[in-house]
Amino acid sequence: MSEIERRALMKGAALSALVFTASGAKVLLSPRQARAQNIAFKTLTPEQVETLEAVGETLVPGSKQAGISHFVDQQLSVPPGEALLEARILNVRPPYANFYRAALGAVDKASKAHNGDRGFAQLKDDERFAFVDLMRQNKIDGWQGPAGPFVYLILRSDAVDVVYGTMEGYAALGIPYMPHIAPEKRW
Amino acid sequence: MATEKIDVVIVGAGASGTLYASVLAKAGKKVVLLESGPDWQLSDLISSDFWGRRVKPAGIPFLLEGKNPYGYAYQAGWGVGGAALHYFANFPRYMPNDFKVKSEHNRGLDWPISYADIAPYYDKVAAEIGVSGDAKAEEIWRPKGEPYPMPPMKTFRNGDVWKKGCEGVGIRMVPAAVGMNSTEFKGRPPCIYDGWCHVGCPIGALANPQVTYIADAKKAGAEVRALSTVTRVLTNPAGTKVTGVEYYDAKREKQVQEASVVVLAAWSAQNPRLMMISATDRHPKGLANSSGLLGKYMMAHYASGTWALFDDDVENHMGTVGAQYMSYDRYDKASKKDAFGSTFIVAGTALKTSDLGGFANARLDLFGPKLTDFMKRAKRGITRLTAFGEEMPNVENRIELADGKDEFGMPLAKIIHSFDQDAVALWNANFEEGLTIAKATGAKEFWSARGNQPTIHLFGGTIMGTSAGDSITDSYGQTHEISNLWVAGPGLFPTEGASNPTYTIFAVSQRGAEQLVSKWGTIAG
Repeated sequence: MSEIERRALMKGAALSALVFTASGAKVLLSPRQARAQNIAFKTLTPEQVETLEAVGETLVPGSKQAGISHFVDQQLSVPPGEALLEARILNVRPPYANFYRAALGAVDKASKAHNGDRGFAQLKDDERFAFVDLMRQNKIDGWQGPAGPFVYLILRSDAVDVVYGTMEGYAALGIPYMPHIAPEKRW
Repeated sequence: MATEKIDVVIVGAGASGTLYASVLAKAGKKVVLLESGPDWQLSDLISSDFWGRRVKPAGIPFLLEGKNPYGYAYQAGWGVGGAALHYFANFPRYMPNDFKVKSEHNRGLDWPISYADIAPYYDKVAAEIGVSGDAKAEEIWRPKGEPYPMPPMKTFRNGDVWKKGCEGVGIRMVPAAVGMNSTEFKGRPPCIYDGWCHVGCPIGALANPQVTYIADAKKAGAEVRALSTVTRVLTNPAGTKVTGVEYYDAKREKQVQEASVVVLAAWSAQNPRLMMISATDRHPKGLANSSGLLGKYMMAHYASGTWALFDDDVENHMGTVGAQYMSYDRYDKASKKDAFGSTFIVAGTALKTSDLGGFANARLDLFGPKLTDFMKRAKRGITRLTAFGEEMPNVENRIELADGKDEFGMPLAKIIHSFDQDAVALWNANFEEGLTIAKATGAKEFWSARGNQPTIHLFGGTIMGTSAGDSITDSYGQTHEISNLWVAGPGLFPTEGASNPTYTIFAVSQRGAEQLVSKWGTIAG
């Protein structure tokens, strides 16, 4: 059997797309599509979405449009055993929503404490970079919550996942993806 | 609810459990495998780093403590196939010096057996499930054995550059032995080198249990019960025999499976936890634990990675996640001054973008536009060398029960783990040597993959030895104190060597399973 035949045989054999709810119906979408369709969030608050997108975009440009918030929000709504989050393999204890609430809360709280009561999303680009660089090195005074370097690692991983970890991401970077079993929605 | 008594119940459907199931079922025993995770099929193995995380546990019954907390979930398996569903299938073997560390260096522990006892089982496993490599080339470091059933895998520039670098500093590299098909093997196709091994190979080119031992075991009549979590090993009132296990089935209903023999194959941390939870008046410190060594001597490997970035294309999207080349030239325990322990060097691996091993993490300090630039530069030109280091057994690295309960009401446990001075020193020394090698490759840029000292693989907790005074089991995995309670897997290892363990796990399990079959009449309860 040739390589191509083998791949064709395996392709599409399993469900591998995220399930979102649109107008009461279950639909399979990539996070980018979910964002474009303005799918309602189930778990994250508007403030948390704003912070996550701002941190994500600071860490990995393109992650906001790629749907980092819809990815994380959808993932927080599924049972832990179905979760695809990097938090899973880094021993974060489910429910993962607790970690994200604590992490995003810590970012905003520290941002407000050091930036005249402005949350992270309200910071200018250079302020965001300076903040993240300090968080990465665990150098933010008065930080409260999961350790700053760990928050950096998890959120950076989520952002990398949605920008670089997808079939779209590989294509954009110019690397062959070469799946045995391709994810649906190129995701 | 109790079910019909069977011959053998095996707890855990990973590398060692599935091998036991295969050998025992083929010997005519009625076997049930209980696995806490799902019954993964090949068609579930989607080629994606994030979809691939589903085969690892989500939430674990362990608290991770010590100076170097154990990185459990990344290493562990969840579901049929266990960690061998996502392993890299590097199949180096242990060397003769791994079995006699205490005798030869007055450090660590001795195994109660030698390399010669295991060697025939390496050959047997290779013939059974398929290994590609060049045995003759390896024999510069080890005693002669059988040739591997398949020739070495293809190599690519991402490995060849490191071979050149190693040779430039006097380190010999030979084709890596891997549990993958370089040619068709027993009807399984050859590898197509697309680097998705670590999320589960769905084509059967990599020897994961789905296409080897589980398939054989089922064919011989073994039954697999997925989503079945064992909560206790049951013993007779005298404490002389185990009688079966208690578990929660897929419907979350409590069941009892009676069996003549219980084999614990739930990995190095879960096995001792179960044995501790199963304590009785007759075994107050946990089953088969009169030595007090149950849960002790937990060990992990660590890796010193070196990244090299070339201007030109090193074909880093091609290959396997296993290695193309390996070297035991730093395997002598005293290779490095003031840093006792073996080092095992591998190179040549296909790279993906994301997940812990992805090249976005090659410069974890970068973010924003600098990360974007780096990804563009690295996409075709980056490659990695890895030196694995050995940690000596330390009785303080241990499993113990903790406050708090899991979802079934059973006590959680702690994994307490800290690297000692030698391990830290060897880790650092291997970074230094990695840079020397990288320089010899002619790479444009190179740097160490430093971060927290990683914990890789997991050993100890139920070590083998010569008596109930110094260990939990004999060299086969039979507990010293309860003849029909067996333990399988890397938890048996008194020392960990430095090379990837699964081939040795298979070999030790093959030896144990055959012993169980041959002595069945005196063992079964």
